[in-house]
Amino acid sequence: MVSHISMNQASEAAAGFFRPGLPLVVVVLVSIIIGLVMVVVFRYTSDQKAIHVAKDQLKAHLLAVRLFQDQLPVVLSSYGRIVLGTGRYLKLAFLPLLYAIVPLTLLMAQIDRYLGSTPLQPGESFLVTMRAADSGTVNQAALQLPAQMATTAPPVHIPAENEVVWRVVAAQDGDYDVGVAAAGQTFSKRTIVSTGLPRLSPIRLRGRFWERIFVSGESALPPGSPIQSIAVGYPDRSISFAWIQWNWIWLFFVLSLVAGFFFKSVLGIEI
Amino acid sequence: MKSAHTLFPAKNSRRKLLAALVIVCGLLLLFPARSEAYAGPGAGFAVLSSFWTLFVAFLYSAYAFLTWPVRYLFHWFKRRKAHGKAQIKRAVILGFDGMDPELTERFIAEGMLPNLARLRDQGTFRKLRTTYPAISPVAWSTFMTGVNPGKHNIYDFLARDLANYLPYLSSAEIKGPKRSLKIGKYVIPLGKPQIKGMRHGTPFWHLLGKAGIFCSVIRVPVTFPPEKFPGVLLSGMCVPDLKGSQGTFCFCTTQAAGDKFREGGVRVPIERDGPVCRSYIPGPEDPLGDGKAADLRVNFEMRLDLRKNQARITADSETFTLKVGEYSPWIPVKFKAGMGFSARGICRFYLKGISPEVEVYVTPVNIDPGRPDLPISYPVTYSIYLAKLFGPYATLGLAEDTWALNEEVLDDDAFLVQCYANHNDRERMLFDALEKTKQGLCTCVFDTTDRVQHMFWRYLEEDHPAARNIPRDQRPPVIQDLYRRMDELVGRVMKQIDDDTLLLVVSDHGFKSFARCLNLNAWLHQNGYLALKPGKTESGDWFDDVDWSRTRAYTMGLNGLYLNLKGREREGIVEPGAEAEALKEELRGKLDGLVDPSSGRVGISGVFDCDAVYAGPYVDNAPDLIVGYNDGFRASWDSVMGKVTSQIFEDNLKAWSGDHCIDPRLVPGVLFSNRKITEEKLAIVDVAPTILKLFGLGLPTHLDGKPWTVATKTAA
Repeated sequence: MVSHISMNQASEAAAGFFRPGLPLVVVVLVSIIIGLVMVVVFRYTSDQKAIHVAKDQLKAHLLAVRLFQDQLPVVLSSYGRIVLGTGRYLKLAFLPLLYAIVPLTLLMAQIDRYLGSTPLQPGESFLVTMRAADSGTVNQAALQLPAQMATTAPPVHIPAENEVVWRVVAAQDGDYDVGVAAAGQTFSKRTIVSTGLPRLSPIRLRGRFWERIFVSGESALPPGSPIQSIAVGYPDRSISFAWIQWNWIWLFFVLSLVAGFFFKSVLGIEI
Repeated sequence: MKSAHTLFPAKNSRRKLLAALVIVCGLLLLFPARSEAYAGPGAGFAVLSSFWTLFVAFLYSAYAFLTWPVRYLFHWFKRRKAHGKAQIKRAVILGFDGMDPELTERFIAEGMLPNLARLRDQGTFRKLRTTYPAISPVAWSTFMTGVNPGKHNIYDFLARDLANYLPYLSSAEIKGPKRSLKIGKYVIPLGKPQIKGMRHGTPFWHLLGKAGIFCSVIRVPVTFPPEKFPGVLLSGMCVPDLKGSQGTFCFCTTQAAGDKFREGGVRVPIERDGPVCRSYIPGPEDPLGDGKAADLRVNFEMRLDLRKNQARITADSETFTLKVGEYSPWIPVKFKAGMGFSARGICRFYLKGISPEVEVYVTPVNIDPGRPDLPISYPVTYSIYLAKLFGPYATLGLAEDTWALNEEVLDDDAFLVQCYANHNDRERMLFDALEKTKQGLCTCVFDTTDRVQHMFWRYLEEDHPAARNIPRDQRPPVIQDLYRRMDELVGRVMKQIDDDTLLLVVSDHGFKSFARCLNLNAWLHQNGYLALKPGKTESGDWFDDVDWSRTRAYTMGLNGLYLNLKGREREGIVEPGAEAEALKEELRGKLDGLVDPSSGRVGISGVFDCDAVYAGPYVDNAPDLIVGYNDGFRASWDSVMGKVTSQIFEDNLKAWSGDHCIDPRLVPGVLFSNRKITEEKLAIVDVAPTILKLFGLGLPTHLDGKPWTVATKTAA
């Protein structure tokens, strides 16, 4: 009996290390692919020889601190050289960083649409937040819900922020348009209730091009609209890996570093 | 070698793109969101490792800073006896192997060496008596220990095995690990190779270190294996290559196999398939073999470009392009054995020609200083530190490949390029050591002086057999250039030192011509002291075909002559005592003044009884007699290798045209000092006690040298 229990505990613990699910599989795959692509990009956009020399110089000055530790002036000058060398090394790594940052950032913004949040569940209440351009619009705003959705509480007005917040619940899975009527016009916001891995847009914005690129997945609200934004409060997604609940970015950070380290060693790339 | 590839080669477009990227990145930074907080593994590594480096450096520095007062007090306590008596804060010793006093005087007189002239004028210039024999490992061992060879046990590069009359390296013994495990065809070594230093005596930097005086010691001969002491040391002459030899180059060629190289190299065929050629570099023995397995190899491939007169070479993971007549940088190579065992080394390629024959010279595979398979420094991290600071460098004891020039695999220019590349590395190490050793001892030995004089003496002499066909006006002033370079180096060092620093320029011996070879084994044979087996008139290398039962004396190595002593040698026939003494006297009488019949010149100017010149616990390992050849003569190449020929005297036609393994009285070294020295007659054995005394240390009683009287201040 005891051994049966402990076996169960062990298998549960082992399963906790890697609980396969679509989000985890996606993160692992994306990390491996990006780890590979980025080290290759780094290889071809960096001065490999200069990076090699810069790293070697850093190691040499570190060793000098150890080898000549009884000679304080040598230790101090070596430390100064380490600081300078670190700056030189970061400078050399900065150029490839510039090449990588634009496509990677755009790519990650898109992946974040899928992995950053979880879709809403039937019966789960969520908040719809409307931010208006002026206080007059706040008082007139009304929520227009599809038949499968209903509010669960009266709206909350926050005049100081020009915001109105509704608490809503959906009865079943679906891809809905939640409408907000104001100043005689109605503006919709896409809202997804699902158990899959759909593309989510937590906010619809007026203008603000760069913010829309990174946080929204919908077309802009019309330029003259009295509403600045409509947001749906999707819950943050956490991914279980190695007995830890991870935000996908952190998991991606760790796994892509591991993948990058592996590929850099295999391909002989200096980073 | 082209190693950095870039995606955007055009500078202007690259700049524009860079500017655009900077703007975009700036915008991204203005609108941060969590998804752009991370920009890939490259940046991740850079940032993480930078912070890690700084963190480790900070910890080290903090540790060094916080504990420094304690350590300073500790060293002061150790040094307190010496502290009050020390006449100098720092000693800098530049060892110029083989710098000749007569040539130096001549070049100073010609105004070629202004810095050495200044050193002479403000301080001291003397001839420095060398050791018996005047051979670098012997003389430098005496330099560092302050004792005669009878106490340090080094008499030549080679010593003989009394059991079989075969030679072995006198300075160090390298054997496989003590234990191994045999599994099928594999013999798995359990543990590290055993390296045993054969030099005895205590180097003076060990005594300085124990007294709390920091020492940086770079490439002093016979410091392999490196010994533990409180300082840093990079081993010099006698460090082996990866094969365990003292330097085996590789000559890859499409030419049909020619003569085997006498020594120092192997010829490897190149397989040619159109513009693609394939060959290999032979490496060490397979560590998993039982000694009968083939050597490990690293294959390489070349793509010839006849139009551009160059080849693209791929060796291991490195690819580089060489024009004909060009050296590669140091290339890392990994010799893979089975079961994950491997040996790492570095070598340089030299593309000798691609048409009509393809010829590539590869230097001996040096131990990689950045990842040493054998210890070549103390601490081990010192060789790694230097490799990280300056890049890979030659670690082989005899790094300048004189054999390749002797065998005409390299020409003069290619040899000199190799020599001065090594020399420049050594200079960088010296100046780094000077910077790091503001107090204490800093010593560095330069071998270039020795190698270049060995190989280019033929151009200095009017009628050297090795240069008879070269008109005088076409002989490059190689040795003059060498001395000029060394003088410039002295000038740069003089700028780095202050009045509290003693500067010594020391050479272990001088140099003379080597125009005529004298095969002493042939003489012994023709005079009835050495017998060959019936029907033989000559022997092979290492006494092949020698009849030991009728042999009373033999020679191997450069200056040693041995009696075939009963009870000592395996097949000895000479009774120790009166018979041996009588034989020694007889040989001395006949050999001293031996005349070269072709010129009437004396070939041997002195024969020295080792019982008279050596004293100490290791005298039994010494030769019985030391043969002092006259200026212009030296032991023949065959004689050195224990070969009996029919000719006693013959011309030396090799590029190796100068030498010092002759009568030690004819080849003293030099001593320059920035301080006045009272004594007139100085010897290399005196350097160690002098330095110890100047640092205020008491002298061990076993030292043979006597300290000099050195002025307390540098003359203005």
